[in-house]
Amino acid sequence: MFLHCLIYELKTCLRAKDLIIWLLLFPIVLGTLFKVAFGSLYEKNTLFRTIPAAVVEQSAESMLRTAADAVSEGENPLLSVTYTDEATALEMLEQKEIKGILYAGDTVTLTVGGSGIQESMLRAFAEQYNRYESVIRSTAQQNPQKLPQVMAALSGEVSASSRISLTEGNPDPFIQYFYNLIAMVAMFGAVTGLHIVSDYQANMSALGARRCCSPVRRAVSLSAAMTGSCLAQSVCMITCVSFLAFLLRIDFGSRLPLVYAAAILGGWTGVAIGFCIGAATRFSSNVKTGITMVFSMACCFLSGLMIGNIKAVIAEKAPWFNQINPVAVISDSFYCLNLYSDYRRFCVKILTMLIMTVVCTVIGIILSGRKQYASI
Amino acid sequence: MNNPVVKIENLVKRYGDLVALDHFSLEIREGEIFGLLGPNGSGKTTTINCLLSLLSYDKGDIAVFGQKMTPSSYDIKKEIGVIMQNVAVFDELNVYENIDYFCGLYIRDKAQRRQYVDEAVQFVGLEDFLKFRPKKLSGGLLRRLNIACGIAHKPKLIILDEPTVAVDPQSRNRILEGIQTLNRNGATVIYTSHYMEEVEQICTRIAIMDKGRKIAEGTKDELKRMIRNTETVTIEVLELDEAVRAEIAALPHVYETVFDGKTLTVCCSGGKHNLIRILGVLQAHAVSFGRVYSELPTLNDVFLEITGTALRDKEE
Repeated sequence: MFLHCLIYELKTCLRAKDLIIWLLLFPIVLGTLFKVAFGSLYEKNTLFRTIPAAVVEQSAESMLRTAADAVSEGENPLLSVTYTDEATALEMLEQKEIKGILYAGDTVTLTVGGSGIQESMLRAFAEQYNRYESVIRSTAQQNPQKLPQVMAALSGEVSASSRISLTEGNPDPFIQYFYNLIAMVAMFGAVTGLHIVSDYQANMSALGARRCCSPVRRAVSLSAAMTGSCLAQSVCMITCVSFLAFLLRIDFGSRLPLVYAAAILGGWTGVAIGFCIGAATRFSSNVKTGITMVFSMACCFLSGLMIGNIKAVIAEKAPWFNQINPVAVISDSFYCLNLYSDYRRFCVKILTMLIMTVVCTVIGIILSGRKQYASI
Repeated sequence: MNNPVVKIENLVKRYGDLVALDHFSLEIREGEIFGLLGPNGSGKTTTINCLLSLLSYDKGDIAVFGQKMTPSSYDIKKEIGVIMQNVAVFDELNVYENIDYFCGLYIRDKAQRRQYVDEAVQFVGLEDFLKFRPKKLSGGLLRRLNIACGIAHKPKLIILDEPTVAVDPQSRNRILEGIQTLNRNGATVIYTSHYMEEVEQICTRIAIMDKGRKIAEGTKDELKRMIRNTETVTIEVLELDEAVRAEIAALPHVYETVFDGKTLTVCCSGGKHNLIRILGVLQAHAVSFGRVYSELPTLNDVFLEITGTALRDKEE
């Protein structure tokens, strides 16, 4: 009997229009919009790209070619150099094929076509080259025997500090929008959970009344409905994460299976919350749906889905709230996975979700346990 | 006398100050098609909901198949088929799946279930619509689907709560014929309706309800015998002198005459040849008349005489 109820619960859930719209299509559309809006911002603003530049050699004595060739090699070179005459170089600059022209004369001079990060880096390169060349020339003239040491010192990296990376994950700040998007989909599971109450209580719908007339024990029908809803929600969560990770190529870090696990558990939390809201309130089905949607969207808003830094503001003013806001807890679990190499924080978030799920389910079962109604 | 399938004793149900069922008692025997007739708000659906243990009630006892009916009476529920007033099917499932789902709540064996579902589909004539979703069905087909979902598991007791509301005449006839077939196949049927013609057509015994009370109970003939009226003669008359009307009123067995300027209605209680005698008076006074009807009493007359209000008037 459980299996019969479960199969049909799954069929009805996965064919429900509101579920398809809100849990499958909406996140796909919103995810795509986020990708269009934020996807390239981080890369454009933050990630290093090889700088295309032209070198115009005006002096045979210049050592710029040696230096330019050295920084044009390797996997991620600083420069991509084209050696050419001045007229061609100017034309290339005008066509925006290059970011600047390095004139190799007695000293290196620079002409750039704009004022971005890459132009600044070219300027820094030219200044450093001139400084180093000056040191090498003066050393060669005054202490030629020390030239090898000077060359070695200049070519080595000297630093008073060492760099330690705290994370192997994706440091893109815009990824929080995708975390919140997944958390929102999980929270929309509340609508699925709400249906459990609506479809199984005689005072909520004709279908509920009809089901109450059947000889299936309430525990069996409710557990089948809950399991079916959670499975349907899991399908939606897997679809959402897969779409973001593989089609939009959002980098969720190296622990994708755990992202799936957290998303699925988050979805179950959403279902349980909806079940609890449905059982605890005594309104019509439409009003309950309205309450659930408002609650879900409020949680999403306060977790930073619409305004990115609101969660940081709440973390400062009322840090406890982020510990009980289900959307914040779900999205934080993805943060923890991405940013921290250890699992302590992630486990705390998972445990919080589990507690929320169990508490809401138990409350829902207790409140929906009534078998007779004063009015239908 | 057959065993009672349903026994309701002194049922009282209140919604706040409103008494929906006022010491309502009923006994339905095996093999009957029992009609609960009454206007909207008379307590028919409340009775059914109490009977199915969906509604709590303030006082009284309900027994089905000789056992007290409670929300946990799963063995009793197995033998009951319910067709709700509001269509209760899944929009997401097609016709076959809907019937299979509800049948599966009662029948565990897959092969038997498949056979029962096929029979139910055939019974309601939905063979050509198996893959249709409910939203694609007309009102009549939807009602037939609702019935198929309720009867597929071959219950011993079938409860139909106003199953023909908003149904076209063709589907209505098919539904009524189907109910009679189910009864012939051994099911006891409880049928609630405010359409007295339907109740009169199919029910073997009838209880008339009004304001939460049972005002009459019996076979349709027994009910009609309870009232004074045995025949109502209606004659289209353009002009009628008061003296002629008085002469008709004085005829034997005539107990009431009403003339509204176009139609003369004469109510008779017993006797034979009432129509001939009335027409004789009109001819004697050279009163020209048009169409003439002679009607036997209906359940509406029963309701009218007992409550002072016509059943139809209450629906308007």
